[in-house]
Amino acid sequence: MAYLTQPDYVKYACSCGQIKPITSLYFCRHCLQIRCGFCICHEVDSHYCANCLENMPSSEARLKKNRCSSCFDCPSCFHTLSTRATLAQPRQTPEQGSGDSKVENKQAKKMYYLSCFNCRWTSRDVGIPDQPVASGGWPERVNPNATRINQLLDYYKAIAQQEKQEKLDRERKKFAIRGKYITLTDKTGLTGAMARNIAGLPSSESTMSAIANFVPSEASADVEELSEDFYTKELNLNQMTSMPQRLAAPEWQPSSVSRLYPIAKLLSVKRSQRCRACDHNLTKPEYNPGSIKFKIELLAFYHVPEVKIISYEPIKPGCTSALLLKLTNPTGHEMQVRLLQPEEVPDTEDRLEEPKSLEKSLEKSLNLEKDNLWYETVQRKADVTATCRVVTPDVTLTLAQRDDAAEYDDDATHDANDIILWRKSNKLALRLQVSCGAEVGAASAAEAALALQYRYRNTVPAAHEPRDHTLHATLLLQLGHVSG
Amino acid sequence: MTHYRYSIKILPGATVCEDCTLEGDITIGGGTVIHPRVTIIAEGGPIIIAEYCIIEEYSTIIHKKNEQPENPPKPLFIGAHNVFEVGCRLESLCGHIGESNVFECKSFVGTDVKIGSGCVIGAACSLTTPQTLPDNTVIWGSEHNNREALEKQPSQLLQLDFLGKVMPNYHRLRKSNVHKRQMSRQSQEPAKS
Repeated sequence: MAYLTQPDYVKYACSCGQIKPITSLYFCRHCLQIRCGFCICHEVDSHYCANCLENMPSSEARLKKNRCSSCFDCPSCFHTLSTRATLAQPRQTPEQGSGDSKVENKQAKKMYYLSCFNCRWTSRDVGIPDQPVASGGWPERVNPNATRINQLLDYYKAIAQQEKQEKLDRERKKFAIRGKYITLTDKTGLTGAMARNIAGLPSSESTMSAIANFVPSEASADVEELSEDFYTKELNLNQMTSMPQRLAAPEWQPSSVSRLYPIAKLLSVKRSQRCRACDHNLTKPEYNPGSIKFKIELLAFYHVPEVKIISYEPIKPGCTSALLLKLTNPTGHEMQVRLLQPEEVPDTEDRLEEPKSLEKSLEKSLNLEKDNLWYETVQRKADVTATCRVVTPDVTLTLAQRDDAAEYDDDATHDANDIILWRKSNKLALRLQVSCGAEVGAASAAEAALALQYRYRNTVPAAHEPRDHTLHATLLLQLGHVSG
Repeated sequence: MTHYRYSIKILPGATVCEDCTLEGDITIGGGTVIHPRVTIIAEGGPIIIAEYCIIEEYSTIIHKKNEQPENPPKPLFIGAHNVFEVGCRLESLCGHIGESNVFECKSFVGTDVKIGSGCVIGAACSLTTPQTLPDNTVIWGSEHNNREALEKQPSQLLQLDFLGKVMPNYHRLRKSNVHKRQMSRQSQEPAKS
């Protein structure tokens, strides 16, 4: 059960041991495992501006320092600035300078300025002249340290290249000692540095010169003294910028609000997510920045039975209380569900082995080849030690498949008994008992762990016949506080 | 309400919807637009609203009763070009609100807050402690950040024109009941149309 603004009362254990609400979990259909944002691989698909929705290739994005060229953020409150139009008034013409005599002749000329609807900051506040065009054309400021930064960049690039070259040379030497055959790289000069050497391009020399001409910066003990104003003038906090405002423009770090200039908007990225164990995509967004749809969307919410708490009696130490749960089957296939204690869930290794032995040997070898080391270190059992335990009845419950048209049917199946409270299309309400240990102190958080064993019908790969798997999910229910 | 009706003075050119609660001694200046469902209560003394204000739906202006009543009671004077956006609330004992202020949606201004000119009280901001806002103060956000704007907020004359034209088509209006010629030249215009 997950809400937008409320705490998450039901959390699921991911295969990496993290405990998260079902809405932030993924389900890999190939490994048949629950995955979360922590244990999957995030890849950047495309860069785009969230305001103008312009798409940008990553090389261009890097060139523009990951900022949009036409949208700006407010330097005062960081909201997006909007362009506002005014009719040029005669009082503004002196600001335009004498060169713009045409503006004076034309009576009603539209001029544009930037304005923030949140804090009412405008580009006029800091004396940026209004622009005759609606987008673009805003004065670009030069970074005062641009030359030094470029110098440093060149220097480190040169060093990186030199080290690469040295490494290459060393390797070639090793090779030369080992055998007397001409290697492929020797013959064709495949590497970039060698190609440059052969062509006689000056790049390696320029790297040498970049290293030679580089002047390291020196720390100086002389610090400019503070001017008298700092001691004598009364401080007007309205004129000072806050730390977030300064850090939003790291190149300039303005200390006074009159130096706050619009910040070019940072680009957003579309990410696709990949399972680390099997390298299949878990989510893949559509390329168009305006679209919020996904091409691939393997969310746990669509594959794992969802548990919601309907209500529960107050938990008392040493007593059992009633707990009403609702189970929902989100898949298009009938599902058998059993409730288990978390200890009864077989180990993850066993579960991994089971499908593996069914797979073809080729796939197995492919799996072995992959670098799963990182993944294995991450994979661990979730810590679901809870104060309470749910008394699990030894029954197998059948959940009907999800059917969007079911709400128009009115043949509700009434097979209510001790455990089943009611049943409605793909939903099932259960009446369970929660027992709480006698030693649990009052007012401590009451949590109950529960495991689900469910039959999941795997429909991938599509060519094969769908296979049924028995899967497990461990979840943690938050049942308020233990009452004394 | 009918009892107070005669103490409500609506100057020519003002657009005041009938579906609003006006209690006490209230004067509404020419060019001001009062939307429906507005509550203005002058229990502690008269309220004077100057020209070209916009008071939007569900906003409340209360002149609170002072604990030590003065005689005669001091008026609450609201300057020209103020904008009271939807659902804002202004409580005041007495005093003077400057001009060209904007009270954004759901903002709250308590008693003992003195407001200069060109101030903006941001959406859902509430000012409860006694304080004085200097001219051109902008308050915004849940943190109640404030800054000083360089110039006053631009006037809403275009919006006023539009509302003055549109309102009579969709709402019953209260008629102006003061036929004194105003110093303001604009007050003549609606009479012609």
